[in-house]
Amino acid sequence: MSATRRFLVALAGTEDPALPEQVAQVAGTGGPAVEVTLLHVVETGPRELAAYQPAVRRGPWPLPKKDAIEGRLKDADEEAATALLAVWHDRFAAALPTAQIARLVAQGRPEQEIVVAAKRLNADALVLCARPRSGPAEPGPRSVGHVARFVLDHSPVPVLLIRRSS
Amino acid sequence: MIAQSPLTSAAPLAAAIFLVTIGLVIARPWRLSEATAALLGAGAMVLAGLVSARGAVSDVAGNWNVLLFFVGLTGAAAVAERSGLFEALAGTSARMSGGSPRRLLVAVVAAGAIVAALLSNDAAALVLTPVVYVLVARFGLSPLPYVLACTFVADAASIALPVSNPVNVIVSDRLGVSAASLVPVLLPAALASVVALLGCLLVMYRRQLPARAPLVPPSDSWASWTGVPRRLLAAFGVAVGAFAVASALNLPLGPTMTAVWLLLLGVEWTSRRPDRPLDGIGCSLLVFVASMGILVDGLSSAGITAWLAQIVLGQVRDSPAAVMVVTAFAAAVGANLVNNLPAAFVFADAVQGAGLSAASAHAAALGTIIGADLGPNLTPVGSVATLLWFVLLRQRGLEVSTWSYIRIGLIVTPVTILAALGVALLLGVPR
Repeated sequence: MSATRRFLVALAGTEDPALPEQVAQVAGTGGPAVEVTLLHVVETGPRELAAYQPAVRRGPWPLPKKDAIEGRLKDADEEAATALLAVWHDRFAAALPTAQIARLVAQGRPEQEIVVAAKRLNADALVLCARPRSGPAEPGPRSVGHVARFVLDHSPVPVLLIRRSS
Repeated sequence: MIAQSPLTSAAPLAAAIFLVTIGLVIARPWRLSEATAALLGAGAMVLAGLVSARGAVSDVAGNWNVLLFFVGLTGAAAVAERSGLFEALAGTSARMSGGSPRRLLVAVVAAGAIVAALLSNDAAALVLTPVVYVLVARFGLSPLPYVLACTFVADAASIALPVSNPVNVIVSDRLGVSAASLVPVLLPAALASVVALLGCLLVMYRRQLPARAPLVPPSDSWASWTGVPRRLLAAFGVAVGAFAVASALNLPLGPTMTAVWLLLLGVEWTSRRPDRPLDGIGCSLLVFVASMGILVDGLSSAGITAWLAQIVLGQVRDSPAAVMVVTAFAAAVGANLVNNLPAAFVFADAVQGAGLSAASAHAAALGTIIGADLGPNLTPVGSVATLLWFVLLRQRGLEVSTWSYIRIGLIVTPVTILAALGVALLLGVPR
């Protein structure tokens, strides 16, 4: 058993900028060393739809080269993922100055990739926001988005569910 | 009126050939292209004796205006794509959004509407969608709402002008209605349907769009208009003006569009010689449209289109307003069953053979254009039949939640059709 505590933070990118502070409160300072891995999953569904669906829809209209378009979309996704993680890296470094912070990009369906990453990294806790893509989450049956719902049900490690402070 | 069935004994055969052809077009087994499938169907119509060989030739020749129009339209769209026009337009949208996801959605819809109105719905969807995707990704936002907005607005705005949708030219050409005479009605109707679409999208995505984009790319990183050759921009302006004048003078649209394309190509040649200037001419589209003409002629000779006209227009033929509403909904249903180009052909032929009064024919043209242009938005893949195929694709690994797309189309389509139809009834029916 290592004394290091490992947190895996799943980021959609639109979370409350106060998230690192909230994680810092739980992780505490001065205790055992903290390792934070920031995970951003690039959702591939929209990309496939963007490259594929207009082609299906538009019939015999002359099509732009499909491979070239898919490559362009993938590059844009990767560039955005890198930029997002850089922004959040700085925020976490400010809130947790002593922690070791790593970045991870995955591709696929976010709910599945988050669970897979938690298993592979053997994290001590998985941090995720209840509804990163909307405003302050109100209590009630829809207070947890579909990604967070799946992760809550399938996570192999304890989950720290963060709600956006209003 | 005595309702005597116009169907001939050849009707089952003609219907079978048509439906099998459409099935092949939609399912595309063995990677068969749509054009090949349509050509096979047209060949079957001739072999079955439903269309004589001479009739087939005259069908193709009779479509000369539509075919020339497509040569010019696809060529002009290819010049626009090579020129960086789409990137510049998307860059302007990004700058205008100021980093607000909602304003970005409004700007994307506006850009899509402009491209669709001036350069056809297919060019807007096929060329603008990837450009918008890249743009939205750079804001760190989920591209899904914006990608769907591009798809939907491409069709919502496509009733605006004759150039905005291949269906518009097919319908007005077949019905013998001057395309220019429809514009004063259809342009405001297009505006109404785009506004209605935008309202739907903003309401439906109100929870998914965050207040601020997570990333703020520097504003000078967006493609700007300086990348587009000045001369070419001016040529586009001249082309739009020339097209407007030609359609006001009732010149045939096919030669006009081809001339516009040659003008654009010539100007492009002077500033940046394209590697393959003829790439992007829709040869398969031409084959498809020519074959469709023969297929529909087969249906017509078997009495099927007249029978359809009797069913659809039987009770309402003397009231232009009723004709417009009925044709709009019938064309929308047809477009969802067999895709919009075949539906437009069948409907135009049915209406044309019904011997309507001038006012009713005008109303029928408006109704058919609205229904066949906006109807396919019901599903984001264009028709219920395609959707079934799309569901099959999911099983082969295309991991997208089909329901989240259908749901939006189910709401957007009736709303945009009603908005357009309301305006068309106000402006397009003599009282």
